[in-house]
Amino acid sequence: MDEFNDNEIGKLLRLKRYEQPPPGYFENFLHEFHRRQRDELLREPLWRILLDRTQDFIFHLDVRSLTSYPAAIAAVLVCAAVISLKIYQEPGTANVAALQSGPALSTAVNAEGQWTLASPAATRIFRAQPLRSLNESADTHRAAIPPRYVLDSVPVSYESTFRF
Amino acid sequence: MPPFRLAFALSFLAATSLVYGQEESATAVSHHVKEVFERAAKAVVKIHGVDEHCEISGTGFFIDPTGTLYTAYTVGGEAGNFTIDFNGKRYPAHQVLADIRSGTAILKTDVATPALPIGKSEELEVATPVVAIGYPLDLPETPNFGMIAGFDRKYLGRYFSTTHLRVNLPTQRGEAGAPLLNMKGEVVGILVSSLENNSACYAVPIEAAEKIRSDFVRFGEARHGWVGINVSEAARRVEGSRAEMTEIMEGTPAAGSGIKPGDILLQVGRKKVHEPEDVLDASFFITAGDTVPITVLRGSEKLTFNVQAELHPASQRPPLIASPTNQAIPLKLDSEVQRTP
Repeated sequence: MDEFNDNEIGKLLRLKRYEQPPPGYFENFLHEFHRRQRDELLREPLWRILLDRTQDFIFHLDVRSLTSYPAAIAAVLVCAAVISLKIYQEPGTANVAALQSGPALSTAVNAEGQWTLASPAATRIFRAQPLRSLNESADTHRAAIPPRYVLDSVPVSYESTFRF
Repeated sequence: MPPFRLAFALSFLAATSLVYGQEESATAVSHHVKEVFERAAKAVVKIHGVDEHCEISGTGFFIDPTGTLYTAYTVGGEAGNFTIDFNGKRYPAHQVLADIRSGTAILKTDVATPALPIGKSEELEVATPVVAIGYPLDLPETPNFGMIAGFDRKYLGRYFSTTHLRVNLPTQRGEAGAPLLNMKGEVVGILVSSLENNSACYAVPIEAAEKIRSDFVRFGEARHGWVGINVSEAARRVEGSRAEMTEIMEGTPAAGSGIKPGDILLQVGRKKVHEPEDVLDASFFITAGDTVPITVLRGSEKLTFNVQAELHPASQRPPLIASPTNQAIPLKLDSEVQRTP
């Protein structure tokens, strides 16, 4: 600042009065601005662009639209589907679903006993595997309705006459 | 020693030895039953299924090492989605065959299993001791000890399809399909129903179940046969038989065989007939398609007719095979296919 005193600065400012932009500068200003903006954007990595756009989308999302009736119904349906899936995969009936044909089908219960959404038919096996341990089934049976323990008081078949 | 003291000492010794002998024989029986139970219990399983109303639970037992098991029709006949508890785990099983006439069903699970040896119910007599192993209610495998009380062909005025073993042996719900074992540990019957107060039960002789199994091995289904003859009691016994043929039904194999009403029935296959009731057992073991020799007495002449049996009217309905993809079960290596006696 010591090299430029007030007079010199005043001289420079007076000279600036006569500087003019090139012809067509103002007409092309907007176009040039967009071009430079795109150039700047393309220098960014792709992941950054995606991140920015996602953030932008989220910040500009209209929250009120989420509370509309179609969205609410869709949410309820999704919840119901998930809950019913869990109910139908309860151990007692899971066994039943696994036994429709000769070769055993595994249930959607994985080795750790957790529920998965995987299709049971996708994991077909051709040798009977234990479906659950008896301790697990004992817990289930305690909670469920007891089965009908079979021993009838009369035989199931009789002959009407002595014929052969 | 005075005679009084000697007599007292002898009687004391006799009483002591009698009590000791009774205790010893009771211990021996207990030991024997325990031995049978320990040997056979591994092959007896609890069966779970679902019928049209609810879940059901019964008992069954393996008869070969490939997981084939016998149970009662009330357990394995009209339910589905079977599972069995075996070796502390639960395995899926499927119905191979169900036969309401014999009151039995055959299930199969795809796992290597122990198997119970098959005995002969014909060797049983009244008061022969027997053991049953079942799963009462939700309890673990339980031995029951009893004895053969009779060989019945009818109960409450209705005739069985074949002679049933009446066993004085307490039973509980859940034990239908349990094996009835002789003291050698061989299966001689399958528990199918209880009697009053569950103090006794009926068992189907194992030969009846084996007949159904051999039908399945030969034809893929149970094939009860008949020839179309009605039998009733004759006025007098002739040649040891009181079974008189009263009707030869039209359109049946017997119609054109030469057998006539009024003939006295002496023998069907290898089974001799003395009373009209004997026809039940003879009839049960006839297989449709087999030729059955029938011996009759006409006047003083003994005649034998060979008649080819047809499907019994009670069997002329869609076979009760649950899974059409499973058309055969392996034969036991030490068994032969049964033929009509």
